[in-house]
Order: sequence, then C-alpha cells, then structure tokens
Amino acid sequence: MRSTLLMGNEAFAWAALEAGVNVVAGYPGTPSSELVETVAKLHAAGVAHDVYVEWSDNEKAALELLVGASASGARGLFTCKQMGLNVAADALLSANYVGVRGGLVLFVADDPGPISSQTEQDTRRFANFAKVPVLDPWNPESGADMMRHAFEVSETWHTPVIVRPTTRVNHASTFFDVPSETHARPVPEGGFEKDPKWVIFPRRSYAAHGEINDRLHEIASEEAAGSFNPLYAYAGEECAPADAGAAPLGIVCGGVSGAYAREAIEMLIARGAQLPAFDFLQVGTPFPFPVRRARAFAAGKTDVLVFEELDHVIEDDLLMLAGRDKLSYRVHGKLDGSTLARGENSVEDCARRIARFLGVTDALPEEPAPDPAAPQAPARPPVLCAGCPHRGAFYAVKRALRGKKNVLCGDIGCYTLGNAKPLEAVDTCLCMGAGITMAQGVAVAEPGTKAVAFIGDSTFFASGMTGVANAVYNQHDITIVVLDNSTTAMTGGQPHPGIGRTLMGPVSDPIRIEAVLEGLGVTCIEHANPLYLKESLAAARRAVDFEGPSALIFRSPCTQIVRPEPRAVVDDDACVGCRVCVEAIGCPAMTMSADGSKMIVDAATCYGCGLCVDVCQHGAISAAVRTEGRVPFAGKAGE
Amino acid sequence: MLNVLIAGIGGQGSVLAAKILAAAAQARGWKVRTAETIGMAQRGGNVTSHVRMGDAGEEVHAPLIARGTADCIVALEPGEAVRALPYLAPDGLLVCARTAIPSVETTLSGEPYEAEPLLAYLEGAAPHFLAVDEAAICEEVGSRKVANLVMLASAVAASNGTSFGLRGAIGTDELVRAMEACVKPAFVALNRAAIDTAIARVGAPSVN
Ligand code: SF4
Ligand code: SF4
Repeated sequence: MRSTLLMGNEAFAWAALEAGVNVVAGYPGTPSSELVETVAKLHAAGVAHDVYVEWSDNEKAALELLVGASASGARGLFTCKQMGLNVAADALLSANYVGVRGGLVLFVADDPGPISSQTEQDTRRFANFAKVPVLDPWNPESGADMMRHAFEVSETWHTPVIVRPTTRVNHASTFFDVPSETHARPVPEGGFEKDPKWVIFPRRSYAAHGEINDRLHEIASEEAAGSFNPLYAYAGEECAPADAGAAPLGIVCGGVSGAYAREAIEMLIARGAQLPAFDFLQVGTPFPFPVRRARAFAAGKTDVLVFEELDHVIEDDLLMLAGRDKLSYRVHGKLDGSTLARGENSVEDCARRIARFLGVTDALPEEPAPDPAAPQAPARPPVLCAGCPHRGAFYAVKRALRGKKNVLCGDIGCYTLGNAKPLEAVDTCLCMGAGITMAQGVAVAEPGTKAVAFIGDSTFFASGMTGVANAVYNQHDITIVVLDNSTTAMTGGQPHPGIGRTLMGPVSDPIRIEAVLEGLGVTCIEHANPLYLKESLAAARRAVDFEGPSALIFRSPCTQIVRPEPRAVVDDDACVGCRVCVEAIGCPAMTMSADGSKMIVDAATCYGCGLCVDVCQHGAISAAVRTEGRVPFAGKAGE
Repeated sequence: MLNVLIAGIGGQGSVLAAKILAAAAQARGWKVRTAETIGMAQRGGNVTSHVRMGDAGEEVHAPLIARGTADCIVALEPGEAVRALPYLAPDGLLVCARTAIPSVETTLSGEPYEAEPLLAYLEGAAPHFLAVDEAAICEEVGSRKVANLVMLASAVAASNGTSFGLRGAIGTDELVRAMEACVKPAFVALNRAAIDTAIARVGAPSVN
C-alpha cells in the first residue's frame, strides 16, 4: 500500500479494481471520464491484471455489453455522465427485470450547476424510476467504499446498482492508500448458463416485477442499518455518532451538500455561535429510501432542513414518511424555498441557511459590500484553441452561406464553442447526434433554407449514423459537416471507432467515415482541410449547393494530439490594423497592439496552423507551414 | 485550516501547482483536499484550483474554499486575481503574476486590456499583496511553462516567517521535495530552476 493523491474518479477506478471488476465499459462525458482512463492506464502499466476496458461506441452499447458479461458471471462496471444514462435507459430498465449474475455497477456522474452539461437531471430520480438501488457519496472516500459495496449488493440481490457521484466528488482529490496490484475475479467456470430467465417476456416481467419490489424492500432495510446513512448528534461544540435522533431540530443532507453543511456548522461554531442541540443525517442510499434510519432520526422532530442538489428527492421521502407515520415535523428544503431550487450548494449558502434555521445569524460573517472601484474581471469563456481546425471549418461554411438563409445545427463537443463571437456558427445544440436530425426538421419546415449540421467524429459514431440514414431514406436536403479531428477532444482525447486504436491497443482497420456515409447512401461527399480557406470555401459551396443529403468532411487533427508548428509572424509594415483577421476568426493567439495599429500573434499561444494567413487581405501574416508548403501537423503526432 | 486558491487560465498549470501543494501538506501528515474546474472551462476559460489543508490536524470536509476564507490566492494572471479576490480572507495574501493575458472577448471589444490598472487596484484591495514579474523569471529560466511553479514558490517565499498567507507552514525545501514527487523526472531540473529563481527574486519579500 502506498499513499497517493487520487482524484475522485481515480479512487472509484481503484475501488472497482479492488472489487475484482472484470469488464469496464463506458462513453466519455464530463465529469465521469477519468474512471475508464484510470483503469486503462493501470492495465497498461501492468498494475491492474486481467481486466478488460473499452470506450464503447455509445452508452447503450456499453451497458448492453456489460449485461452480457454479467450474464456470463463477470463483474462489470459501466460509466457515463447523467445524460448518458438516457441513452442507455432502454437497456437498464430491461436489465433490471432480467436480473444480473456477475455484479453490475453503473457509475453515473451528475453535474449540478450544471458546469458542463445540458441538463440538471438527477440520477437518484432515474434510479427510482428504473427501480434500481442508488448510492450517493459525499466525498471520494465514501464513494470508494460505496463502489466496493455496490458489487456486493448487486450480486446478493441480482440487481444493477448505480453509484452516483456529482462533479465536486468526481473532481475532488485526496490521499488514498492503493495496493501495488489488483486482480480481476475469475469468471465462473462454465461461463454463461442457458436459462429461459435471460429472455425477457411479459410473463417473466410480471414475475420479475414482484422480485424487484421485494428486493428493494430488503435492500432499504439493510442499508438503513449500514454505514452509508450516518447520523450525528450535535450538542454545543460536540458532534458524536448516534443511533437515533433526540433533538427537535434536524439537518438532512444528500451527497456533497453534507460536506458543505458540516463545514458550515464548524464555521459557525468557530465564530462563537451557541448552537442549540440538533441531529444531522446524511442519506447515502437515497433509493430505496432507508426508511428505518429516517424514522429513527425523525423521532421528536419539529423541523427538518434538507440540503441536496438537483431534485428534492430526500425532501419528498421525508414528507412521505411524515404522512405515513403521521409525524408532525415540518420539512424545509427546495419545495418551500428554504434551500436553493437549482444549481450547486456551497458552504457559504449552507452557513446562511443553517444559521437562520438554528437561530444563530449573529455568528455569520459580514457580507463585504461590493467595491464600486473594483475593475471588471475580463470575460473569459472557454474558446476553441489556437490552431483548432474547427475555426476554419465554421468560417468557411459561414462564408459559403453568405446571402443564403441558413440554420446551423450544432452538436455536443468542443465545436459547440463555435457559437461564440466572432464565429457565431452554432444556432442549435440539443443532445448527442441531434444536429443532423434537427437540420432535417428545419429542411422540411422551410424548404428554401439551407440546413447545415455540424458533428464531430466521435459524436458521429456515437449517435450520428441513424440520423444520416434518416436523411438519405427520406431524402432531406441537408448538408452534414463532419468535423474530423481524430479524437474525442472535449472530454480529453479519447479514441473512438474512426481511430486505429482502442484502450487495449492498436486495431487493424479504423472505420472510415466516408465508407459509412457511402454505405448509407450519401452520394455527394466533399473533403477539405479546414486550415486552408480557399479549398474549404470551394468544398463548402459544392456541398451546400447539392440538392438532397450531402456531406462535407473537414479533416485536420485536434491541437491537443499534435505538436505545434512554428508560430505565425505579422509583418508590421504590411499590417494596416484593419482588425479583419481578429473579427473573422477570433483565434486566441491574435491580439491587437495597445494603440490598435497592428495585430500581434502571441508566440506562446500560436499553434502555427496558418489559417490567419488566408484571412488577411494585406498579406501581412506568414506562417512556416505555408512558406514551406507543408500540410500543418502532418507527422506531428504527440506522445 | 489553510486554504490556498490558485486562479488562472486553462492550460497554465494550476492543477499541477495544486498537486504539489497537496503533496507538501500530505508530507506533513495533514488531511488535504483539492478540487479543480475541469471540462469545458479548460479551453482557455478561467479555472481555479482549491487546496484545503488541515494544518492543525483537523478534518477537512468540503473540497471547495468558501468566499472570504482563502488564506492565500496565487493568481497566474491579474484579471483572474480580480475575479478571485472575493475569496480572499480578511488577512489574506494575494500573490499575483504581472502579465495580463487578453481573452478573445477583450480583444474583440477593441478596448485595451492592460495589467497596470488591475495591479494598482489589487495592491490597494488585498490585505497583503505581492506582484511577481513572472515573465522575467520564466525568461531567465528559459520556459514560459513554469509560471505556475514560479508563482507557487513566490507565495511560499512571501509567506516565510509571516503570520499570513501560507503562514510559513511550508518551507521552500518542502516545496522542492513535493515538486520532485509530482513532475516527470525530465522536468525536475527546469522546475527546480523556476523555484530557485523565484525564491531568489522574492528573497527578502517586500510584501506589504
Ligand atoms: S494582420 Fe492583416 S487582417 Fe489582421 S489587422 Fe493586420 S492587415 Fe488586418
Ligand atoms: S497560425 Fe494564426 S490562426 Fe493559427 S494559431 Fe497561429 S495565430 Fe491562430
């Protein structure tokens, strides 16, 4: 054992490996991605033995693969972010009815805020809907314990189990003791056993529903007695574990809010607050709700304050308990406006609300008055990197569409950032793969409008292909622009089916996007290197002018996977300071001199892609790749 | 509790700086938690790393620093220091890099984006303040990539023998050892040079 700083997601990976997981599969998505990568890294380093790990084509593929592995007796771990579970929902709901053999754990990361997601959906609710137990950690340590426990629960009760951390648990780090190596548990002798139970039929489902109801009941009462729903009694400055509540006031927390609330309580104590006695319950197993534990806590309560992020899940259950047991406590939370109805909680916010709840507002620190003299911090939203190939692609397509009414349907990935100024090339973004199909809706509704869909290479394989088939089948007049940068850039550069590599090593033949498009019946397929404006513009015009479904593949690597080319240079004598370059493509390496008379390329930021050379009408910019006549980044693969 | 907030721009290496600080604290046997902004924000957006150390042997619950409770802010860019300032504790130390880095938005706005007015404001607003000419130190060392270590080392040096900032809790030798444990062997010498040069510059700190 050695002590190592692990990010929550790394700790979850170690815990699963220690639990002997055989198969790990998922689809990347912030804040979940590092788990799979950690397993792959430890496997490649010869630390994690006998484990199989893959990035699947999408979440549904990953979960179905794991249900198969589980049926063969293997322990399986699925990973995704909250919306990924929507994609895998079909498999999950049925798998729960069929039941599992080898432990099947779903690691689903929620994203309160949201910080990098489209929705604030709550996987605890999803678990309730799917009738699958869910564990909700409040820090990486509790999460690692829950991960190990989840495999046991899964195998004991033949149920999938969800472990649901949130961003602040996924991406928080602390020190862990890790073993020198891990071993997957051997798959049972004989593997898959043929049995009618693996085939879902209405009659079987009716019986299974009864089993599900029974096991949820049992799991609720077991977890109520377990360590994941800790109860503490606070008296004065003391906080001690307790078996039952005693005070009339109580605070109940889910997830990382528990850490915020405890910190807030300590802050109030440190500031001299004389707190009345109260009880504190952390609900780590929100579904099935640990009713017995909650009942023990609720005894004698008059008022309960609930902190949880996303939905009012615990709050609902406490209200239900009050109704069922005819208890007279009041529940304060999201529903009555006592806590934040959306977004993240925080120590500061918990402190204010707890101080009010416990009647110690005197102990709150004074809110500093905003300083009118304070300068504005610069707006600094995320942007496409310097040298990013998407910049040229967006710019060329927009130029090709000048004067034509158009709708630009974007998708999920770095290229969503194409919505920002000055490109403003993303009019819609919905969910994975939706750009291609939304464009078809636009084309049907307003035939004169050019409907263009942008999709990245990874998203294309994950959920773009059915949309292409639909466009060809129904002959929709759209242009599909594939931004092929040879990686899954947004989430940190994962391989995908179009790349000749998996997490377990090289593969012989990557799937060619052209071949897929051709196979699906797209007849107009254009190509361009997006770092060259002229050829991109010409290709974009041909694709857009084509009647019927057309495709345009822009191909140049993500800057994150290649080394930079020599930087671009501005000829100060030629530059007239017209700002055309800055306002056309907005590369972060380009700024204007203090007096605004010249454009300046920042040497450290510039990636030498050469795109700006084509944008300047005064020939003021030069780049080595152009003067030397080389294709940018060819043969510059990073480590 | 010792709270250090590292504020910068995606790609500046705030995460590594946080890791190094965490390793130094762990070597002291303290409970440590760190948290990062990861994901979309990394693409050139503003990022923060939170490092929370139980320097009195206490438990650390939350991964994030509350506003008004950062003992030390290490800002890798002046505009980011302005953004992070509400986190600074009433007796906190702000160590700030001198080089302003424009964003696409500031460039598009057409208004000049300069360090001086920001630094002038920060100097008056922060209880304890040190501006570091990180670009000069980086140039001396020969790499712009080590600004994170330059700034972290400056914060350690500026806190030496004081009761604010890092309160002298982490020595420069401890910082060096933690760095050696956290960076690839090939980069140890470069980062060592960054630390040494920064400390030599801050040396007798003129922190007000
Ligand atoms: S580099 Fe060219 S486009 Fe940019 S400001 Fe100068 S003259 Fe104008
Ligand atoms: S060559 Fe021009 S467009 Fe490309 S990264 Fe450098 S400044 Fe930006």
